[in-house]
Amino acid sequence: MPTATKAARSRSTGSALPRYLLRRLGTSIVLLFGVTLVTFVLTALVPGDPIAAALGEGAIQNEATVEAYRERYGMDRSLPERYLLYLLALVQGDLGTSIRTSRPVLEELSTALPATVEVAFAAIVVSLAVALVLGTIAACRAGKVSDQVVRVVSLVGLSVPTFWLAIMVYRLFFMQLGWAPGSGRLSPALNPPPRITGLYLVDFALDGDPVGFIDAAAHLVLPVVVLSLFTIGLLTRFIRSSVLEVLSTDYVRAARAKGLSSRRVIVGYLLRGASLPILTMVGVAFGALLSGTVLVEAVFAWPGLGTYAYYAAINLDLPAVMGVGLVVGVIYVVINLVVDLLYGVLDPRVRLG
Amino acid sequence: MSAPRVRRTAALFLAGSLALTACSGGNTGAQSESDDDTGQSTGGTLVIDTAFSLETGDPGRNYVPTGSTVLHPLYETLLTFEGDDESEPVPGLATMEVNDDATEFTFTLEEDRVFSDGSAIDADDVVFSFERLQGMESSKANHLVVGIEIEKVDDMTVRITTEEPYLQLPAIVTNPALSILNSEAVEENGGTTDDSDEAEEFLNGTSVGSGPYQLETFDLTSQVVLVPNDEYNGDQPAQFERVVIRNVSEAATQLTNLRGGDSHLALDLSGDQVAELGEDFDITAGPGAQTIFLLVNQDEGVFGDLANPSFAEAVRYALDYDSILELAGDGAAQATGVIPPMFLGAPEEGVEQDLDRAAEALEESGYDGETLTLRFPNDQPIGGVDFTTLAERIQSQLAEAEINVDLAPAPFASEIDPYVEGTADFAMWYWGPDFADSSSFLPFGPDETVGTRSGWTADDAPDIADLVTEARTATDLDEREQAFTDYATAMQEEGPFVPLLVPARSFASSGVDGVTYNSNWTIDIAELSPAD
Amino acid sequence: MSAQVSRMSRAADARVSRRSKRRLPAAWRSPLALVGIVIAGAWFLAAILAPWIAPYDPLAQGLPRLTPPGEYSVLGTDVLGRDALSRLLHGARVTIPLAGVLVVCAMVLGTIIGAVAGYIGGWVDEVLGRLTDLFMAFPTVILAMVIAAALGPSLYNAVLAGIVVTWPMYARVTRSLVMSLRSQNFVIASRLLGYSPWRSMGTDILPNVMGPVLVLASLEVGTAILLLTGLSFLGLGAQPPTAEWGSMISGAMQNIDAWWLGVFPGLAILTVVMAFNFIGDSLRDVLDPLSSAERQGAGSAVGPTTVNADEGDPSAAVPSEPTEQEAPR
Repeated sequence: MPTATKAARSRSTGSALPRYLLRRLGTSIVLLFGVTLVTFVLTALVPGDPIAAALGEGAIQNEATVEAYRERYGMDRSLPERYLLYLLALVQGDLGTSIRTSRPVLEELSTALPATVEVAFAAIVVSLAVALVLGTIAACRAGKVSDQVVRVVSLVGLSVPTFWLAIMVYRLFFMQLGWAPGSGRLSPALNPPPRITGLYLVDFALDGDPVGFIDAAAHLVLPVVVLSLFTIGLLTRFIRSSVLEVLSTDYVRAARAKGLSSRRVIVGYLLRGASLPILTMVGVAFGALLSGTVLVEAVFAWPGLGTYAYYAAINLDLPAVMGVGLVVGVIYVVINLVVDLLYGVLDPRVRLG
Repeated sequence: MSAPRVRRTAALFLAGSLALTACSGGNTGAQSESDDDTGQSTGGTLVIDTAFSLETGDPGRNYVPTGSTVLHPLYETLLTFEGDDESEPVPGLATMEVNDDATEFTFTLEEDRVFSDGSAIDADDVVFSFERLQGMESSKANHLVVGIEIEKVDDMTVRITTEEPYLQLPAIVTNPALSILNSEAVEENGGTTDDSDEAEEFLNGTSVGSGPYQLETFDLTSQVVLVPNDEYNGDQPAQFERVVIRNVSEAATQLTNLRGGDSHLALDLSGDQVAELGEDFDITAGPGAQTIFLLVNQDEGVFGDLANPSFAEAVRYALDYDSILELAGDGAAQATGVIPPMFLGAPEEGVEQDLDRAAEALEESGYDGETLTLRFPNDQPIGGVDFTTLAERIQSQLAEAEINVDLAPAPFASEIDPYVEGTADFAMWYWGPDFADSSSFLPFGPDETVGTRSGWTADDAPDIADLVTEARTATDLDEREQAFTDYATAMQEEGPFVPLLVPARSFASSGVDGVTYNSNWTIDIAELSPAD
Repeated sequence: MSAQVSRMSRAADARVSRRSKRRLPAAWRSPLALVGIVIAGAWFLAAILAPWIAPYDPLAQGLPRLTPPGEYSVLGTDVLGRDALSRLLHGARVTIPLAGVLVVCAMVLGTIIGAVAGYIGGWVDEVLGRLTDLFMAFPTVILAMVIAAALGPSLYNAVLAGIVVTWPMYARVTRSLVMSLRSQNFVIASRLLGYSPWRSMGTDILPNVMGPVLVLASLEVGTAILLLTGLSFLGLGAQPPTAEWGSMISGAMQNIDAWWLGVFPGLAILTVVMAFNFIGDSLRDVLDPLSSAERQGAGSAVGPTTVNADEGDPSAAVPSEPTEQEAPR
């Protein structure tokens, strides 16, 4: 959010895009470095023994095995040394090996992230569609009953504890009514699609597998509904405000005065005029969805970033926690950048500088 | 002990698997092709749902339950167990003779047995398999072969020697980690007997054992598919054309899949869920092999004045075990001692609540109304028993006996450190056997693994220390059983532990025969067959 | 996730509200606030009176296990045979006050840091700005998870984690408000009169900052409740046997067939958070000095999203046209 508006507000003219990008890259790297440092210090200071946890009874009594594990994960070295080694490997694109699963963190993240991206993206699309309708209605009828209803609805949406709603809809629509499939991304009977993007819907479509596609889509329904409710509340309020603002502008008044139909005014002027702040908000909400679905993923056993982060954290799996921190940091940086760049494209008044 | 078979119906077994085939047919081409001939196979497809704990397809590197379940039908071991009878190992690939000192174990391989590539099994394969594990220090199963020597006697005979009498060895060699691998095939693919072994990747894709099944596909996170081993020439051939073991992490989903005919066997249901299934399914429920217990630290530096057996006794008699057992669902049993009921030497009768005796012992222990903290891991339910719920009930019962306790749950990874280091003063933990033998519960003794964790030394209880030695080095089976019984009884009298309960293992199935719980491999897939 | 989104959205909301509430009739506000006050008041009463109105001791395990509502107790019993209604009522005593503590602490901390950054500027601002960025880049729940793991799970540590993840929002809002106020005529005048920076801060700047910050805080109470109950749901907040709504729901997940265990604590959270959101949302219209200023000059349409080119001002919550905010005195 912050950087987005920063760029939006910058009006200094003439600077070239590459220079801007370069500067952004610089600050981003500093930020990501800070993220790794904070995560490392926090996780390393936690009392506990990830090695013992990974080995379990039996193996933990075998000193040779414990030693071999300590060495493998560099636990026999000092903290600063371990951090430097981590950074060194990181530069080469190596995120280390998870202590909990003994698989490469990068590989695990590359399956967990698409799972979360898929559900977050679906949620943001649904939310935006609903919120555009509700928000516009509310703005156009500001102060009327429908506006009030929308206001209450969106406030309620913001008030629902998502983890609770997740359990409730899971119980009702899966266990009770059987309308929705159970937890996870796919029915256990089906094989996952050949990995292309990691997004099941896309991969099934590319693979030409309608059975898999429908099943994957059905598994998305409940998590998306639950996640959407909050974002709908959020975006509706925002869209209403943005549209209200545009409504008061001269060019919309002029358009109305010209006698243009209200639908044309809404689509052609209102939404276009309000698209920039809405875009920012969508970017922010999407980023937050990506990194913040822990609770909902826990309920639906969704093998995404949140679930991965949760298990990494409670198992003190340092490389995995670091990996999650980095991915989330990168998401934050990238989304801000994309939003800023789109600003530049959509709003000619914005000059990146 | 034997798990009571509750109910049976010949359910739509084939229908179920056909429906599944139809479903997955459009999903992947390869799978549907191999399923097309389901009708002519012996038993069609068997689908097993379980929450995966799977780390590797390499027997030597495996020490997790799902791994053992999957590897057991692929590989054979020198000795094995039949069904749920874990009292005594029976011949597997070999028969065993033991010398009078119980230090020399001679295994004679069965004639003419072959691996899945048709090559013969000989003593070299056995020696290689054992030495490979000895070389892999970073394997979680490495501790199984510490302190034993293996040598080839002739082409069909190997001898294992130990320094001390070691009657637990027969039980140890049944562990799937000690599977006999095709040494040539493994060596060709990076296998060695030192620490440079690199055969894991190969073994994750190919099985090189002599079991009735072989590996078709292996995915650590989604599913493992087994198909019959055509070269198998043992006496228990594969009964299913295809066995699919799927990772279904939620018990609720396992339940739904089973109800919908989408799977035939669910392994992780809680006692309550099994009870809910009703009459259309076969239910196998019995105590597992893991004991949940309370630990009272005996080190004064850790637990101050309360570091004495009297406090443990007070706690032991303050608890109402029936009301604790109520939380664990059907099939769970009270822990009558540190040795669970299914093993040799477990006491017949458990402790019963006796508040007078508890008050007396409490008086003696020097407890002065202070509030204690009970620490326990809260993210590893055992057999569907949630530790937090259990701890809340214990807290409430202890409060009635005027022992004040606060609860301090923490994730396993944070909590195991103080436990292992012996700095936990009052804690709830669980212990499972490393191998299916009562000697796996000797670590509770003074100066032994768990004993040390509770600050309990041989000086504190020299008698029990002697009993441990006696049980461990017994060379005669009767003498051994008696030693275990004496040990377990003495532990209940003056030990620092309060054994609570042995959670159930509950399975539900439809159309499958041979479902029994075994602590080594959970269920024996090789023994499963279509119901009549 | 809610906390994460909302801490950003609130900031954004606060900005927009300032410009858009101007044409709203009064009817838009009051009934909502009334509903909120009634619900919140009912919960406050429940929290205060819980020991007297709860039918059982919330920790007593005397009833039969897992009985549905009506049989032994109004809302049924849980897995240990405790009365769900009594636990629900006592739960109000846990969550609501702690959420208040969380919000107040985060607000004070964030306001101080933001004010210092905004008033002093220069490298101090730069350092604090990066620090704020860093904390914003962390996902709320994950950071809170790590903190809870590091310090040991407890409700107080969950509150601490909540403070750590929410203060940057206040810092950001305060900083930009202070920066714009600093260049206002009345502030410059007081400095020219020779007043110390502290006095200028205390009398000129902070009173003007408090309005928007309080609005933000009032909207944050609900979010704080969601965060705390969410952490407890994951086992990182309230510890057993405390009757806390989030951990009651997590208990319900393990006994998913006992629907009554999950439904009621969830409804409790929903209604409390909703009440605070209703109040906060209405309060914003009243408390926000800017929006009232705008309301007075209603109709004075400002340009669309035109904003001040104020490089180094990353806040979304900046009053975009400081000129509108003439000295309130």
